[in-house]
Amino acid sequence: MKYRRFLILLITESLILLGLLLWGHYRGQTEFVRLTGLKDLVTSLMLTDLSIWTEARYTRHPSQTDLFSAFQDCPGCLEHFPSGSIVSVPPHLRRPEEIP
Amino acid sequence: MRRHLFILEFALSGLCRRRYKNLALLVAYSLLIFIISSILFLTHALKREAELLLQSSPEITVQRLMAGRHALVPVDWVDTIVSIPGVIDASPRYWGYYYDPFTGANFTVLGVRSSEFPLKGREDLDPEDCLIGSGVSETGLLRTGDSLVMVDPEGIARPFRVAGVFSTSSSILTNDLVVLKEETIKRFFQIPEGYAVDLVVRVANPSEIDTIAKKIKEKIPSSRPITRTEILRTYESLFDWRSGMVLSMFIGALLAFFIFAWDKATGLSAEERREIGVLKAIGWDSSDIMEMKFWEGLVLSSLAYLTGTITGFVHVFMLGAPLLESALKGWSVLFPSLKLRPVIEVYQLMVLLFLTVVPYMAATIAPSWKAAMTDPEEVIRS
Amino acid sequence: MILHPGIVALLGSSAIVNMMMLYSAFAGLRIIRYWDSKSSSALQLSLERRTYLLSSILSFVLGVNLLGLFLFIYTADDLHTQFVGAMCATGTLNANPIGWWVLGMKLVLFLFSAVWIFLNYLDQRTEDVPFVKKRYALLLVMTPLFVTEALLQLRFFLGLRPNIITSCCGALFSENSGGIASSIAGAPVRPMEYLFFTVVFLYLIVALCFIVFQMDFLKYLLGGLALVFLPVSIASIISFISPYFYELPTHHCPFDLLQGLYGYVGYPLYISLLLGTLFGLFPSLSEFFKGRSELPLRRWQRLWTTAGGISVMVFTAISVYPMLFSSFVLEG
Repeated sequence: MKYRRFLILLITESLILLGLLLWGHYRGQTEFVRLTGLKDLVTSLMLTDLSIWTEARYTRHPSQTDLFSAFQDCPGCLEHFPSGSIVSVPPHLRRPEEIP
Repeated sequence: MRRHLFILEFALSGLCRRRYKNLALLVAYSLLIFIISSILFLTHALKREAELLLQSSPEITVQRLMAGRHALVPVDWVDTIVSIPGVIDASPRYWGYYYDPFTGANFTVLGVRSSEFPLKGREDLDPEDCLIGSGVSETGLLRTGDSLVMVDPEGIARPFRVAGVFSTSSSILTNDLVVLKEETIKRFFQIPEGYAVDLVVRVANPSEIDTIAKKIKEKIPSSRPITRTEILRTYESLFDWRSGMVLSMFIGALLAFFIFAWDKATGLSAEERREIGVLKAIGWDSSDIMEMKFWEGLVLSSLAYLTGTITGFVHVFMLGAPLLESALKGWSVLFPSLKLRPVIEVYQLMVLLFLTVVPYMAATIAPSWKAAMTDPEEVIRS
Repeated sequence: MILHPGIVALLGSSAIVNMMMLYSAFAGLRIIRYWDSKSSSALQLSLERRTYLLSSILSFVLGVNLLGLFLFIYTADDLHTQFVGAMCATGTLNANPIGWWVLGMKLVLFLFSAVWIFLNYLDQRTEDVPFVKKRYALLLVMTPLFVTEALLQLRFFLGLRPNIITSCCGALFSENSGGIASSIAGAPVRPMEYLFFTVVFLYLIVALCFIVFQMDFLKYLLGGLALVFLPVSIASIISFISPYFYELPTHHCPFDLLQGLYGYVGYPLYISLLLGTLFGLFPSLSEFFKGRSELPLRRWQRLWTTAGGISVMVFTAISVYPMLFSSFVLEG
């Protein structure tokens, strides 16, 4: 019977997903402890932002920027202002070693 | 109950008979769900990470605006700010960016006072020492004991001895950091005496933060206070925006897929038409055919949904989202390893359901009705 | 504000649902005008075929509606961090009060589509489909409501202005928007408790009487009580049931119950509430719509009434549970 095989497949997949969610929950607890350790680092270094995008000021420190700072650094970077996806990269920024 | 199971059985047999066509559909469907779930899971996990970590960021940071740009803050603002009731302490912060021409990476250079020195087992940092994040260490091939060379504004190369490397587990915070002593960074960047980059204000009672920020703005009109809740809210909407943006760019692909599903369900092959005609001729009701078609859609959707979600979860939380990394990275030379806390809520799963399964089911309603209305006589005669 | 995954999902699904409803209304109009069950013309045949499509569209709409109700609450909850002073979904809804209307509309539309599906189910049990015209008249009433709901939802999401750092004077910006009221005022506890338990008691008594004595007027009484039961229960959840779960006298949020922190107790609570209301409505509705059809209504009506009674008992049991078994006492 095909429907048995299908149901078994469905249940297996659901169980895997459930297992992953439980694993995530469990890992989340242990990770929570690690992150609480990191919070001390945030306090002592007085950090305000995550170090994810290092390409420009406004992506490295999104919380510290102004409305217009996107255009002060480099248009075309991955950024949170819509116009950045339209303006292209100026030639002097294309080859990093040529910067004076 | 048995009747429904038999119809399900029949639907499965039908799917198996057109194995390759349905397999192609299933793969495309799962891939779509995989990509969307990866985006949702990743941005959600980053959001939660930011929310948790930045809770201990400074209550208020004060910047100075001059001609609409950030400018150095006079250190004597500290006295003005400390005189506001409710403020425990205000201290200058020294930090900046350094573009490293050898690796093409941007570092964030940060000054610390000895009292807040974060490395365990050591009392103090020597003036010529630095601590570096794991990203800096990797791109510059630097280990503890080596020296990091940075060029100061006068063009003189200055070596700093690497006193320690931040562990990779903290890379989401420290990946691009170069930590120097406060006096060293002032000297290196040549920050004029009596000025700082910005000020950090500590407040005793969290509920007073907004009032105090407002008072700072009133006393020093050229200042720009940023409160902690604003930082948290910015991150919240930043990631929503990013995932929403990616999703809306993805709508084209979604639509294409649903049109494909629609088309696949509408364009019945002659064989399928005959099959339905025979079923009706031997006494199946139209609603039974519709139920069979519904089961077909549900079988495909549930398998694709589960497969897509599972692979998305594994991709983001076990493998560190390698496929999305290049898209997220942009121009950043330094990018932290994404070891994220696997936090998923029912909410993400439901949004995923609404973005994929609901439109799919909607796209197949009308075609399956059309199929069920096939006239048996007409089909068998032709 | 539109670019939030949850909002994209909600707006997308409401667009789909609305297109389907508009189509159904159009087809429904034709059915009302030309339906003639005695005729065997080609038109009648095509109309009969169309009803299959419409009933599966409506089942789909009902499902999406129920899930959408929860997704809407979830999304409002997820957005609350972006508003100053908001603590949970209530804060987001207060940030743009149209949200409350959207929520109410979603609930009403859920009830409407459930009733429609129910009538459709009854209709398919008979040879001469007696409810057809009434059903499609009901559909014509529902469609504008769906459209209104979609427009209100769009206005709600467009009108949300998150407080992020956008200007150079962040603090003033935050100050302007002020603190959003993070809670809703509940009705006074004692009178609400009396009202709630009276309604539950009456509902159960009437249901029992109907099962035993089968008097016609009891059906309508039960339907009326079911309609009263829904708002009274929601008001009670806000006023005194939810604080018992949170063990906080000031926390009146009806949405936090749906969260893992409180063991997802909101789901059985709200589902039993909706079932209690619907099953209470069914006997009177079937009586009202039945016309001259020959359905074994008596037996079914008893079954529905029993189901309604059980749902109400489950609902009451869940809400009374923390009052009896926790040390928390709500003074009122």
